[in-house]
Amino acid sequence: MTPVEMLRGMMLIRAFEDALARRRDHGFQLLSSGEEAVAVGLASALEEGDQLLTGGRSIGPALARGVAPERLMAELLGRTGGMNRGRAGRGHLSDPAAGFFGAHAVVGGNISIAAGVALARQMDHDSGIVAIMFGDGACGEGALHETLNMAALWKLPLLFVCNNNQLSVSTARADALAVARLSDLGATFGMWARTVDGLDVRAVAQAAAEAVLHVRSGLGPAFLECVSIRLRSHSTTARETRSRAELAELQALCPIRRYVSVLMERGDLDAAQRDHLSLEATIRAEGALGSADASPYPDAREVMLHVG
Amino acid sequence: MLDKPEVSTQRLFFREAVTRAVREEMTRNHHVMVMGQDVGAFGGSYREFDGLYNLFGPERVRDTPVAEAASIGIAAGAAAAGYRPIVSITYMDFLMLGFDALINYAAKLRYKTAGRLTAPLVVKTTAGAQGQGVAHSQCIESWLMSVPGLKIVAPSTPADAYGLMKSALRDDGPVVYIDHKRLFPTPGEVTLAEDLIPFGKASIRREGTDLTLVTHGYMTRVALQAAQSLESEGISCEVVDLRSLAPLDIHTVTASVSRTGRLLTLEEGQSVCGVGTEVACQTFERIGPRPWKRLGALRAPVSSNPVLEAACIPDATRVAAMARAVLEL
Repeated sequence: MTPVEMLRGMMLIRAFEDALARRRDHGFQLLSSGEEAVAVGLASALEEGDQLLTGGRSIGPALARGVAPERLMAELLGRTGGMNRGRAGRGHLSDPAAGFFGAHAVVGGNISIAAGVALARQMDHDSGIVAIMFGDGACGEGALHETLNMAALWKLPLLFVCNNNQLSVSTARADALAVARLSDLGATFGMWARTVDGLDVRAVAQAAAEAVLHVRSGLGPAFLECVSIRLRSHSTTARETRSRAELAELQALCPIRRYVSVLMERGDLDAAQRDHLSLEATIRAEGALGSADASPYPDAREVMLHVG
Repeated sequence: MLDKPEVSTQRLFFREAVTRAVREEMTRNHHVMVMGQDVGAFGGSYREFDGLYNLFGPERVRDTPVAEAASIGIAAGAAAAGYRPIVSITYMDFLMLGFDALINYAAKLRYKTAGRLTAPLVVKTTAGAQGQGVAHSQCIESWLMSVPGLKIVAPSTPADAYGLMKSALRDDGPVVYIDHKRLFPTPGEVTLAEDLIPFGKASIRREGTDLTLVTHGYMTRVALQAAQSLESEGISCEVVDLRSLAPLDIHTVTASVSRTGRLLTLEEGQSVCGVGTEVACQTFERIGPRPWKRLGALRAPVSSNPVLEAACIPDATRVAAMARAVLEL
């Protein structure tokens, strides 16, 4: 992925989520402003045959993985044009054909599922690997610890990616988890393990590439912790617990702004190109909204479809 | 030359019938695999996977650590990605550790992906009391019956253990397959031919005219003992073994209750929000109320103390007494 492609990816996530959040009918959404570098950096290291699974905060990772914005927006707004006919909605998106196996909105709940998908790849003697992205909140869940053990024991082709945005709703990471670095959880099980600055897309991309190489080589799972920030409240209906001043300070750490500065300092981007990319992202997001709006809600009779 | 009668069945213990079904399905489809605690060389806690490890190896007959939550999750993920795992959860009580993967993920996967992904997963677990105490003896199948998307079967004979396991391994799942500790050493005739028993078909184990006794799993044997003793008193009891709890064959039950006019439901688990309560409700919704009583465990935990265990769960004497009570309604 070229630097401009990475920037474009991050800008699309931001514009997409902003457009969604402005909608009165967006319902309950888990947004990821401040965490775009983690999604895009990870996606830059994955290949076509790989699969990504996530927790509920899944919009950024899905877009970064290449899920079509139009279908994603339709899904989030409950329209039949969504990849799951609008019935998965936020937190449960799935588009395996795009390499996004799916989200599962129970904290920690998708981690063992991802290990199962990785087991299938291993038994297929497939070169594909599986990445599972989860938050720091999931690091207190038993399912993670059980899965770390089994993935290490069976040398599964699984990359654990902890997007540590340092908050579980209102509880600070330091008040919730006793380990020094969250990547220590992986190291305990003898995995390749590293903690990187999750606001630096280049650092994430480089570490993810190394981790993916390790996993794809059959050396067993890896654990990558990316320390990021959450610029919005936990969900669009959750109270914000931080002060305006704190939030303003965080804005200065925005990974997109930061990457723009890096590229401009390097002479790889000028102001006109930046504005063009930003406009392009807005147009794609608005286009996705338009496309979603053109798609109908499901017929109420669909409620009993695909139950079992 | 004498005509030899054609041998069409073999005598198997319940546990052997399970093994045979799994062995045949593993031979037929290389995506079928077994995982769980002590399923490998040990052959399963009740030897219900005996010999499979030698035949299919450690990859397909895979021992897991003591980690029910991750084991069910990994099996569900492998199922969603194309495999057909059986995950063995030694006791049904431990299923609670894996409810997120089973109920929040697997049972909803087909629905939430609009049919793009399914989880053809069999969770094989063991219910019932046999002296193992408050957290190893429960029958919680009625909890599971309230989950849309979950299929639940509970065989009572070796033939059904075989036929239902075969169906479970070909189903798009997820399926919870419940055997009972006291059933493993029971023998029975099992067809030599491949005989799949479809889900959602109850079996009338004994015909009768005075009342219908609806039950499942090990309690079918208790019900049949009670029916036998009631016969000597001139009471004719029809015994319906549900076999499959979800989907539920309410048609067979309603037809039987329509004939006999009375219903007794029997289960080893709790009768509050129990299988019998659900069966009775669905029956009366269709044919109107009939005299009914329900029998299940007392509203107490099931102790490993032999006196308290026996006091807690139904036996043939209590079933017979309850049947007489239904006739007096």
